[in-house]
Amino acid sequence: MAKGLTWTIDDADHMTQAEIYGEVLTKLGYQYKNLVALTADLAGSTKIGRFQKDFPDRFFNVGIAEMNLFGMASGMAASGLLPVVSTFAAFAALRCAEHVRTDVCYQKRNVKIIATHSGTSFGQAGTTHHCTEDLAVMRAMAGMTVIAPADAYETARAVVAAMEWDGPVYVRIGRSFEPPLHKSMDGFDFEIGKAIKLREGTDITVIATGRTVPGAVEAAEMAANEGLSVKVLDLHTIKPIDVDAIMEAVKETRRIITVEDHNVYSGMGSAVADVIAASGKGCVLKKLGLQDEFSIVGYPDDLLHYYKMDADGIVEAIGQVMKMDFEADEDWEDEI
Amino acid sequence: MALKPAELKKLKQTALRIREQIVEVTYTCGGAHIGGAMSQTDIMVALYYKFMKFDPKKPLLPTRDRFILSKGHGGVGHAVILGDLGFFDQKELADFNKTGSPFGMHLDWLKVKGVDASTGSLGHGLSIGIGMAIAARLQNKKYHTYVVVGDGELHGGPNWEAIMSAAHFKVTNMTTFVDRNKLCIDGPTEKIMGVEPLKDKFEAFGWKAVVIDGHDFEQIADAVEQSHAETEKPFVIIADTVKGKGIDFMEGLAKWHYAGLDEEMKKQALASLRRMYKNG
Amino acid sequence: MPTRDELRARLFLFAALPLVKIVREDDKIMRTITRNMTGVVQFESKDSDLAAHLVFANDTLEVKRGKHEHPTVSFIFKNLQGLNDFFGGKPALPAAVKGLYRLDLIARTVPLLLSLKLLMPNADPQKPEKRALKVKLLIYMITAALSQLNKAGEESMVKMTKTSPDRIYQWIVQGEGGPAAYLRMKAGKTKSGRGVYTRRRPFVLMKFSDIEGAYQVLTSKAALVDAVKKGYVVTEGAMEYSKEIGLRMQFVEELLA
Repeated sequence: MAKGLTWTIDDADHMTQAEIYGEVLTKLGYQYKNLVALTADLAGSTKIGRFQKDFPDRFFNVGIAEMNLFGMASGMAASGLLPVVSTFAAFAALRCAEHVRTDVCYQKRNVKIIATHSGTSFGQAGTTHHCTEDLAVMRAMAGMTVIAPADAYETARAVVAAMEWDGPVYVRIGRSFEPPLHKSMDGFDFEIGKAIKLREGTDITVIATGRTVPGAVEAAEMAANEGLSVKVLDLHTIKPIDVDAIMEAVKETRRIITVEDHNVYSGMGSAVADVIAASGKGCVLKKLGLQDEFSIVGYPDDLLHYYKMDADGIVEAIGQVMKMDFEADEDWEDEI
Repeated sequence: MALKPAELKKLKQTALRIREQIVEVTYTCGGAHIGGAMSQTDIMVALYYKFMKFDPKKPLLPTRDRFILSKGHGGVGHAVILGDLGFFDQKELADFNKTGSPFGMHLDWLKVKGVDASTGSLGHGLSIGIGMAIAARLQNKKYHTYVVVGDGELHGGPNWEAIMSAAHFKVTNMTTFVDRNKLCIDGPTEKIMGVEPLKDKFEAFGWKAVVIDGHDFEQIADAVEQSHAETEKPFVIIADTVKGKGIDFMEGLAKWHYAGLDEEMKKQALASLRRMYKNG
Repeated sequence: MPTRDELRARLFLFAALPLVKIVREDDKIMRTITRNMTGVVQFESKDSDLAAHLVFANDTLEVKRGKHEHPTVSFIFKNLQGLNDFFGGKPALPAAVKGLYRLDLIARTVPLLLSLKLLMPNADPQKPEKRALKVKLLIYMITAALSQLNKAGEESMVKMTKTSPDRIYQWIVQGEGGPAAYLRMKAGKTKSGRGVYTRRRPFVLMKFSDIEGAYQVLTSKAALVDAVKKGYVVTEGAMEYSKEIGLRMQFVEELLA
């Protein structure tokens, strides 16, 4: 439950994903007296700067120096503080991967990382500001919990859950204009490690994570119009992964499509593959995401389409897996 | 403030004892970072036996002073001091580097009591120390944080991120030492990647910097007191040291960064140490 | 590239004129005036193929694009400019009127045409039913107009639709009986429709709080920025594209001014 989040749904309606995160963190600052927030010159961009308004003494901007950022967070966590660190995913997961690994994970420091602009969500900024490797890197760090919330509401719930979780947590979100999946902050259950079943189905399962989830639901609805029964799982936690939910999908549908705004190598799809392979059960697996390539420049929504991670791409993949065609709408006359 | 003669004598005796134990451990475990352990010993003895507040029976005492050996490969020297102080049973050092031992080349704070941060990968210690120092300020705690960095270590960018931020955040409840033994693995620092002018660099970054003889306890003590008194800028003590100090066949040679000792070499090493301290 | 007159004519003939059907359904008086009419009333121009006609039969009204084989009455304008002036509410008369003898048809069509004045910026009715009707007409018109821009080959619109995947732009007025309209675009093709598109989720969704909120925004009484602040409208979906479609809407507004 989202304790202490008292502002209304209407407020959330007007807030973007990162803004909700900023608000939530600020509320948590009142609850956790030892919470400190850190960033590397991205207070405005990641919206962690919202925390600064209420707690100027508990906010630290270290400038464009991400390695120092994580070293300091480690030292603070070692000394009784609860650091939340925010910067772009490319810098949090790659630039200072060693610091995250050695200073945070290896030393078991309770640091929470909220990495924004993950995947290709930073569209126009191009590959240097995209991060399609962070799930792979963070998954491989022992002791790290890895979460990719589907929308602003899940982000808020994830941040609250991360505070209560023991140990380092990596939460990757978009740039803040991602469409909502849920209708309200409290209208769904959120538990780290438990996939959210958005739709039941029997023909095929789509397992999506992060900003690709709404498109997965849309694809399922479109496929339903053509008579297919599509199960949809929102796999927000990549580690620890919900083995039971995946195995249920394997048993019930025997066909799985994974979708992630990430390289298909070593990301969520690979994590799902681990589970399927370990079980020894037969299952078709098709992974949607970036097919081991760096991203082009484009509007984030166009990139979802370009890499076939949007509803159309997923529907196409469903068709391929099911070997079915879908009717095209032929009437292009304006209604008169 | 000068050290009282009795104090000075005690520190020298301790330093000898620690150096001897380092030689023993190096001999037993088949090899260690003995060169750097020797150059840092006087600094660490001064800190652990004169200045720092801690309780070996309560290694996580919240009010304790923090110590970070950023040049984590000096771990053998650190472990010996912690054992000598009673953080753990000294006998455990016999298994140094062995499989399953809590002691390896680089100490793990989760396994070795008295260690405040698991270092080894260079360039992390200053950032971690700054985090600890700021945490003290934020929680109104009085503990002081000490960081020892290597001179070759200062090649790395992350150090300078930290150094810049220490001045920006006015971190004055931290004292930094540079174990300036002028050598890295492949040779002299100035030949591999020059760090001079080092004092100027720190000062340009907004720090107060002093250069001392890193093997002179009076200079070390004096510098630490200056650091404690400094309230405006972060303080660095650039300690001019000798890698392998005390073991005449090692002194000033890069190859003793990491080495093993056989029976004969151990004898010579111990003899050399006794000679060094005989002269006071 | 279509001329400005061609674009305006399309908008008037294929986006605005068809709304008379909606007016007739909505307004009892209009239904009474146009009761049991029979005949085809056409609007065309000498210099273009663009035309539309109203088909009155069996107490119903259908609006059709293009020319009828044998229109009962035909308003023939000298050129598109004349046609546009007429529909734009300027004093302008057709160069010729075929079927002038059917004064009854003409006389009863005119009020229907005049009812479209409701669309004009200076029309600010106070009665809630009229304001609601205006909102409905405006969102039906805007969506059809956007589609027509594309079909006309208007450069900036084509740029948007040419590379577009199958996407829905949806306008909804919340609250009971709130009207809705959508624009679908896919690889250069567009289709506007009334109501909510159900076959897939909208790519961009503009949600008006209620009739009054929609009225404020669509009549430009409230600038979009203020409108969002005041909660009149919430836009969901792809950020860059909601901006883009907003610009196209502005362009439509300019064309019709």
